[in-house]
Amino acid sequence: MELEDILFRHFGYRSFRPGQKEVIEQVINGRDVIALLPTGMGKSLCYQLPGYFFNGSVLIVSPLLSLMQDQVTQMKQFGEKRVVALNSFLTVQQKQAALNLLHHYRFIFISPEMLLQKQVSERLKQVNLSLIVVDEAHCISQWGFDFRPDYLRMGELFHYENRPPILALSATATNKVLGDIQTYLKMDEPYQYIHSVDRKNIHLSRREFQTQEDKVDWIVQHVLETDGPGVIYTQSRSKAEGISNRLIQSGIQAASYHAGKEALDRQFIQQQFIEGSIKWIVATNAFGMGVHKDNVRQIIHHTLPSNIANYMQEIGRAGRDGQDALAILLFVEGDANFAKVLATDDLPTDHHIGLYEIYRSRGENPLTMFHNGEISETAFRVLDYWMNEHSSEKVGQLLHKMRIEKIQAVDEMTKIVQTEDCMRKVLVHYFGQELTDRPNNCCECCGVHYEEIIEPRKIDEIPAQLDSWQSRIKSILIGN
Amino acid sequence: MIFQTLVLNLLGQFNGERTVSAVFHLLRGKRSGQTIQDVGIFNLHDYFGILPKLNRKQFDEQIERLSDQQYITILPENRYVISELGQTFLNQPMKLSFDGWHYRGNEHIFFARLSLIVQTLSYHTIGNMKFAPIQQNDQIQLWVKNFLVRHQYQNGELQSKLLEEIISSLEKIEVDDREKSIVVNRLSGVNQPGFTWQQLSNHENLSEMDVQLLYISCLQSWINEVSFNETKFPLLSEVATQVRIELTLTESANTTAKLFKKGYSIDEISAIRNLKSSTIEDHIVELAMNERKFPYDRFLSKEDIEKVLQAIEDYQTKKLKVLHEVVPNLSYFQLRLVLARGDNDTWN
Repeated sequence: MELEDILFRHFGYRSFRPGQKEVIEQVINGRDVIALLPTGMGKSLCYQLPGYFFNGSVLIVSPLLSLMQDQVTQMKQFGEKRVVALNSFLTVQQKQAALNLLHHYRFIFISPEMLLQKQVSERLKQVNLSLIVVDEAHCISQWGFDFRPDYLRMGELFHYENRPPILALSATATNKVLGDIQTYLKMDEPYQYIHSVDRKNIHLSRREFQTQEDKVDWIVQHVLETDGPGVIYTQSRSKAEGISNRLIQSGIQAASYHAGKEALDRQFIQQQFIEGSIKWIVATNAFGMGVHKDNVRQIIHHTLPSNIANYMQEIGRAGRDGQDALAILLFVEGDANFAKVLATDDLPTDHHIGLYEIYRSRGENPLTMFHNGEISETAFRVLDYWMNEHSSEKVGQLLHKMRIEKIQAVDEMTKIVQTEDCMRKVLVHYFGQELTDRPNNCCECCGVHYEEIIEPRKIDEIPAQLDSWQSRIKSILIGN
Repeated sequence: MIFQTLVLNLLGQFNGERTVSAVFHLLRGKRSGQTIQDVGIFNLHDYFGILPKLNRKQFDEQIERLSDQQYITILPENRYVISELGQTFLNQPMKLSFDGWHYRGNEHIFFARLSLIVQTLSYHTIGNMKFAPIQQNDQIQLWVKNFLVRHQYQNGELQSKLLEEIISSLEKIEVDDREKSIVVNRLSGVNQPGFTWQQLSNHENLSEMDVQLLYISCLQSWINEVSFNETKFPLLSEVATQVRIELTLTESANTTAKLFKKGYSIDEISAIRNLKSSTIEDHIVELAMNERKFPYDRFLSKEDIEKVLQAIEDYQTKKLKVLHEVVPNLSYFQLRLVLARGDNDTWN
């Protein structure tokens, strides 16, 4: 059967998006592939479609639980029942049931932690796998920003005779990270599909301010004058609350979004944003994954992102419909230093190494550090991995190096703020690519006119009063 | 404001005989001997565990505010006294009612089930069954699936039956329309997403915490209404299955209770269970609090009880130390048993 037929039958599309077909063809021919596709370019189709081509199962390793859950929900929603997610959300009974039926599933999503459990990896060996997918593969690199130690151990697990092809997927990876992916996953001369990271329809602006307060005042004014939908990224939960409340008081339909919100609230915000009753979301970097909205017109960064990859991913949530969108980066002097503090905040320190040694020499489980609140969970994960691999001295050096890397990453980011040449060029060069041509209204350096990109604000009528509870429940259940 | 008033009221009920933390543990429903006993001693069943996820920071902020506004004065070691200004506030009764003892956060299970049922039926009405479920919890999803199948949702009559039950049961409870709206605004359906706490807080001009307290209060009244009227509200009372906690003892106390009811003494139970006798005493006190017909005569004479009640009255205190000085012939355990009943008028 032709690939296009499978595409139409299972996904309802007539044609592929750029990159998809190339990747799928190579995978089907049994070749290892590294694919770098920007968010929103249909990454998941690259492994979903082969699932209908092969007889065996597709194993998808994914580090982000929420993303995994989201994928599985979506696939079930579209009628694929033979899909399962193995992660720490499962109870012992659910996990056992899933493992017993493992061979029955077409798509097996799994977290790296789960994959390394002996019981699970033994069971996987009995399953006929046609393809191994490593999603968010940049997490494998110690130079990546979402470094996951468990990812490093995966390479050995997949290193056996006649293994199926490996497909490594990522939206953000520099050349260095690409090299790491290939080495650690022990990939065999992988075919590389690198989509240009440049998104021509996203126009890049930046603005400098004297004080932090000026920034917020400007945001309020700007949002009162121009049209969304838009996302404002900031660095803390309290800032997200504060800015969103200022917007709401100015009569704008805004909402805050961060990891401290309860699950139901997050769903309501996403639904209202998609449906249009919320125009602006003020978010920490917790917002983005699993939100499918094509017509986001503006992304405003209230604070400096800690690295270019994050910046890229966040502005990449705009203009997925291909229409023009605007990304505005706000900064004041001192923002870079603040971003550095924030970026290195989560790294284990020498003090932590010392503590770890003490616990270990006492024969206690070092995890106690985390339970006693002496270290954050992420920091412990990183520390624990390295302490099992190297001497404390070596770990100290490594962590020092990582600290410097993270600080340098912020410096890279400030280049976007400082460059007089072209913001887009800096961005694209960071990923080791060349900028071929520039769109109109390219960036702040090349010249950018907001009014040619975004619309003036359209004021929606907000119903003065909510429905009575009786009529609301009635209209929900049986319609009007 | 509502939360602040609530905290002040509870501080008032403890009458300065505990630290401010006692209120925190009470609201979170801490299952320790001390907190459970306090519930009995100070008659605080309604407020036990109404905010299981309350964090210390949020709580401390309220305490600070109460102290800044001079409703209370903070003393060393986390103790406090209510000021005169605070006392005037306490003379007004709390308008909001809770039934924390019988829910302890379980009201959220009821709501989770209901919201998924309502969402599913909403989509079923327009003939679309492909949607992202509003509740991600597997157990909730499974429960709702079984419920819908059991009630043959596909023939399309469940919607109107459920609607009729929701409206008539909510209309029956003595709760303001504002609270009922908050609860219904947390439901969602086709093209009608629910409202976030932030939105409801702006709309009601109350803090998010206050809105949540109104919501919890309304939910608990509502579930009581449907649970006690199963024949009138067959669907909703089914949604409330195993939400209300009828067996209020901790598991371990329950094991002790069974032995106690068979006639074993404290020492015997302690030997059988291989637990310290002080632990068994804690269990017995817990049982006394929960059991309307607790056999006090196994531990105390009527005269002893009278003496203790008199001492509480005379010295206006429930502090064990003071009571022990007044009635020295009784052990701390015996005193705690008397206090366990809390309200004095049920002694006859």
